[in-house]
Amino acid sequence: MPGEIYHIRPGRDGSHPTNESPRRLAAILAADISGYSRLMAMDEEGTHARVKRHRRELIDPAIIEYHGRLVKSTGDGFLAMFDSPVEAVRCAIVIQQSMVGRNAALARDQWIQYRIGVNLGDVIVEPEDIYGDGVNIAARLEGIADPGDVFISGGVYEQVKHKLVCGYQSLGDRQVKNITDPVRVYRVLPDPAAVVKARRTPGLAFAVIMGVSLIASAAAATATWYFFVRQPQYLAAGRAPEPKPSTNLVTAAPPQGAPAAKPQTQSSTAPAQPPAVAAPPAQPQVAAVPPAQPPATQAISEPEMVTVPAGTFAMGSNDDATEKPIHQVRIKSFAIGKYPITVREWNQCVAAKACTNKATGKDDAPVTNVSWNDAQQFTEWLSGVTKKQYRLPTEAEWEYAARGGTQTKYWWGDQPVSGMANCKGCNEPYDATQPLKVGSFKPNPFGLYDMGGGVSQWVTDCWHKTYQAAPTDGSGWLDSECSARVIRSGSWKNDHNYVRPSNRDNYDANVRYPTHGFRVARSP
Amino acid sequence: MNITRIVLLSVVALLLPAAAHAQGRTAHKDAYLYFVWPQDGTVIKGAFWARFGLRNMGVTHAGDDFDNAGHHHLLIDVNSPLDAEEPIPQDKNHLHFGAGQTEARIELPPGKHTLQLVLGDAKHYPFKPPVVSKKITITVR
Repeated sequence: MPGEIYHIRPGRDGSHPTNESPRRLAAILAADISGYSRLMAMDEEGTHARVKRHRRELIDPAIIEYHGRLVKSTGDGFLAMFDSPVEAVRCAIVIQQSMVGRNAALARDQWIQYRIGVNLGDVIVEPEDIYGDGVNIAARLEGIADPGDVFISGGVYEQVKHKLVCGYQSLGDRQVKNITDPVRVYRVLPDPAAVVKARRTPGLAFAVIMGVSLIASAAAATATWYFFVRQPQYLAAGRAPEPKPSTNLVTAAPPQGAPAAKPQTQSSTAPAQPPAVAAPPAQPQVAAVPPAQPPATQAISEPEMVTVPAGTFAMGSNDDATEKPIHQVRIKSFAIGKYPITVREWNQCVAAKACTNKATGKDDAPVTNVSWNDAQQFTEWLSGVTKKQYRLPTEAEWEYAARGGTQTKYWWGDQPVSGMANCKGCNEPYDATQPLKVGSFKPNPFGLYDMGGGVSQWVTDCWHKTYQAAPTDGSGWLDSECSARVIRSGSWKNDHNYVRPSNRDNYDANVRYPTHGFRVARSP
Repeated sequence: MNITRIVLLSVVALLLPAAAHAQGRTAHKDAYLYFVWPQDGTVIKGAFWARFGLRNMGVTHAGDDFDNAGHHHLLIDVNSPLDAEEPIPQDKNHLHFGAGQTEARIELPPGKHTLQLVLGDAKHYPFKPPVVSKKITITVR
């Protein structure tokens, strides 16, 4: 297959091959398997056979389907080039979504997950390989992508943004190794629309087929598919013990002479953290993320943050008197918690004697029964420990983040859909006694979980019963003194009307209530 | 032996109701919760101040676990029965006054509305038996 590169034509006319420039503009797709050496160490033959099967049944056909060419394959990855960035990104999405289906039936530690980077660049084409910055950048993008994710460069984004209906999350400019200028990076967000495109590829994989049959039936079923098939991957990417050096790892001041810093793998199933010595053999996957902080005596797990791009949006709605008037608000880029603060994260603050109210519930459940004042204690403690400026989001930031770039009633559309949020009457079975663990539902287009339902979430602002005279620069709306602060999101005890991103309510700042929690924010 | 058994049994008998009543403290037998204003049938123009009255019990901050004291909750147009085993809900129809407020500025759309007060304990559970006011109906013009 590599030989095919000989016959690439530069678009116009291929009748004079001798005059062809070896340079051409191409969309480069670089992919590799996350944790390949760990998989090989575990089961060399089995892994090899599975990788070969994926290559034969999924990847090679997908590349051909999208008019690409396989340039070369390495043990744990491959490099492909496409004439069209749209086709390259489509191909990447299809591969990723199909892999989810293939992994669904397997134990977590046996999952084969690709990281994919796509770049558009000028490359030098040679018979067995391609060269140039364009290739290197694709490889770097792949290197910083999370397992199961597709990262694209700004150049690709510009070409695909109006053509491929899926979400794109800006990750800002990244400096990549050996490349002078920073590269703008976008994460391609999974979206039902992506599955619709994927179905054009016949017989690709379980996940795609399954997605198609469900989509054919109803939108609600799509949600279900996401819940059952897609979800494990999200959980994996976010929560499960993927043995990568965790960016969440933060070092605290040294109160206890604990052993050297140990990556705290967050296990969603294990009831407790494994003791440091008994931790699974560390698998340092180089270059997955920037190097972790220098070793220190005690590590805390820092909330996972998502950077939300700057933008302008219409805040409010006409659905409730408190949400009027609709007004334009400009938001600067900021980071917000991917999930609400969990019981585990909260109790670190209690253990440090900085928070007073010990949380009960499962470790992965959102913390509840916290007042606005309690939440302040937490952000102050977290800021002190991490030396970063953590705070509550402002009300405008919260709504902007919750909308995820949409202006519909819910982020997924104008109708309530079951299986999208943890709220009353929204799902079966329904547990009225406690919230589901964080990240139990599909994330919104910004990659944020539980922005609506689950737990009500405190924001910075003082309560104002309408938006009359509200700030338009995304800042918090504060008074010299206020007893009531704004809560957002609605809880698992509220119905779908409260899940709307524009929904707002208030509560006394110093009073705890069993459905109230929060998530943190940070300016970049 | 017999004495031990009796003691044990009585301890268990004493503990059982305590366990069953872990949520919801016992109300004063003569507790009386009512609206100072508005009264049943009042016709109001625009926003108004609702004033809450409580006899034989005290109003305190939510979270304060004193005997014989609680905080107000105002139920607006709530038709579902109160669940004594659950915290009083928190939504747009269940307003909480956890800072110990005894009055509130209320603004309702024109039409008939029902108002009812429920006293909650430190953790927002209704007392046992529930301390509730009469449900009144007002008309907002």
